[in-house]
Amino acid sequence: MKDFQNIKKIVIVTLFIAFGISKVSAHEIKGSCSNHETFSFFCDLCGCSTSSGSFGFGTLSNANFIGVRYIYQNFESKNGIFDDSPKSEETFNTYQLWAQIPITDAFYVTANLPYQDLNRSYTNSTENISGLGDSSLIGWYKLAFYKKKKAGETVDFNSEKEPSGHSIQFGLGIKLPTGTFEERLTDNINPGFQVGTGSVDGVFSLGYNYGGDKIGVNTLLSYYLKGENKNEYQFGNQFSYAVNMFTAFSTEKMNIMPFVGLSGDVYDSIKQYGETLQDTDGNILNASLGSELAIEKFIFGASYTLPVSQSLFGDNVESKQRFSVYVNFAL
Amino acid sequence: MKTLKSTFALLLCATIFACSSDDDSISSTEGLEGQKGELTLKFDNGVGDSDFIFGTTYNKSNGESFQLETLKYIISNVRVKDTDGNTFMYPINNNVFIVNEADGNNAGEIYITLDNIDAANYTEVTFGVGIDQERFALGAEGQGDFLDEASDEGMMWSWASGYKFIRLDGTFSTATVTDQPLSVHMGSVGTSLDNYREVTLPFPNTVLVRETTSPEVHIKADISKVFDGSTTANFADGYDQVHTDVNETPIIADNINGMFEVHHVHND
Repeated sequence: MKDFQNIKKIVIVTLFIAFGISKVSAHEIKGSCSNHETFSFFCDLCGCSTSSGSFGFGTLSNANFIGVRYIYQNFESKNGIFDDSPKSEETFNTYQLWAQIPITDAFYVTANLPYQDLNRSYTNSTENISGLGDSSLIGWYKLAFYKKKKAGETVDFNSEKEPSGHSIQFGLGIKLPTGTFEERLTDNINPGFQVGTGSVDGVFSLGYNYGGDKIGVNTLLSYYLKGENKNEYQFGNQFSYAVNMFTAFSTEKMNIMPFVGLSGDVYDSIKQYGETLQDTDGNILNASLGSELAIEKFIFGASYTLPVSQSLFGDNVESKQRFSVYVNFAL
Repeated sequence: MKTLKSTFALLLCATIFACSSDDDSISSTEGLEGQKGELTLKFDNGVGDSDFIFGTTYNKSNGESFQLETLKYIISNVRVKDTDGNTFMYPINNNVFIVNEADGNNAGEIYITLDNIDAANYTEVTFGVGIDQERFALGAEGQGDFLDEASDEGMMWSWASGYKFIRLDGTFSTATVTDQPLSVHMGSVGTSLDNYREVTLPFPNTVLVRETTSPEVHIKADISKVFDGSTTANFADGYDQVHTDVNETPIIADNINGMFEVHHVHND
């Protein structure tokens, strides 16, 4: 029971911190889930969603860590209403401070604080915006499974239970509008070029992990309940999924874990002033290839992701590729 | 376990209620009396699903093709209808505009900005293509500055013949001829022939005109409909030169009436 008391304390502190952050931003932008202006549809896909489940919240082995991650993404968007309307190229650089912090054996928190550096080139002009993005904070409860005792063995209550390698995680969290919105950008041909959504969103996650001797699997399903921002603009709720399979090669000095994965997002339509906006829903399925390399306390990771199929926002936006590298320090 | 559940419940509540809004919705129509706002109509010319670009060859039906160096038309009597069924007519003296492709921005959009629109939630727009008989009956004096503007833009014959409602100049090709001159100058021809037509276009989303907003209505005009509209007009049959003909001009007028659609609206 003592553990649970601790959890309670920590959750309350966590909430306090979370609301502290939201209060700070609220002070700036007047209102608890506010933002100054309307965003376009791509926003949540591009710059702002790098904290989403399809990007993963942690390392393969579900270890606790604190680290930095860099994500490069590349998009092509149609700037007009015709099939042959000119296209703009968008490149997004995201620098994240991310962590998985243990609270107890069964409870941990993942946090994500991104810095966005977004570029767009359109015919002869280029544009850049950068700044703090939307941060997220998720509390997780991990249910680990243990091996059953073989029949006939004496039951020894004092011995350690042997983990089976299987575990399920339940996550509950919030995404905060810590990214600043720039009003001047709304007049652009592609107004979806923003570092934040301006909304407070709920995050609900369910994960399943298996880590065996030779292979491991981790899967994650997340649902984002999007809040309405000050401009009565509400991004469509989002469902993200990710499955990664990895294997491990160990040497004395290091542990190499290559992985392949599938991930994707399904977006609901956006609502503004209570009305659904056309061509604002979409879905994407990605395939990833990468590896982690663990040396002592450090975990180095890299992955490359290509879309397998996509239909985003009336096919006005096309995801081209993404690439990420990270360095984590195991806690 | 119970404590854990309640902490999760707490987080859940926090998540859901964190976003409760304390502002009144801008979409509310309460207290809008006397409030005025701006509304922009963005005209975007295309040919089918392609953007319209001067000098580009576009195929039409019957194996014919065309390219244009002039594309202009007159829009007048713009009015919008709100959710209560009230119609706001833009002040009639200023309610006539020339949409000239050559005036388009980088994206080929021509803006018509209407100011002092009654604040309301609008659901559709109606406008005429060309000049109606009533406006024409006001006489040369009654046209205000628009007479000069139309003359400068080459959208007039003489005063007696009146305005050209649409003006397409370029070249066309058919199975038998190549790059022949194309001129479609359609109008009402004085009072003898009334080719003024009106079109009503519903908005896909409600347009909120407020003092603090400046919504935009993106209107797509499909130029292919001039020839391949409700009636097919072939160059080989004489539609390469359309001026004052009593048979040809009403067909072009009817075709043009069907070329507009509201593609989307922006409520910023």
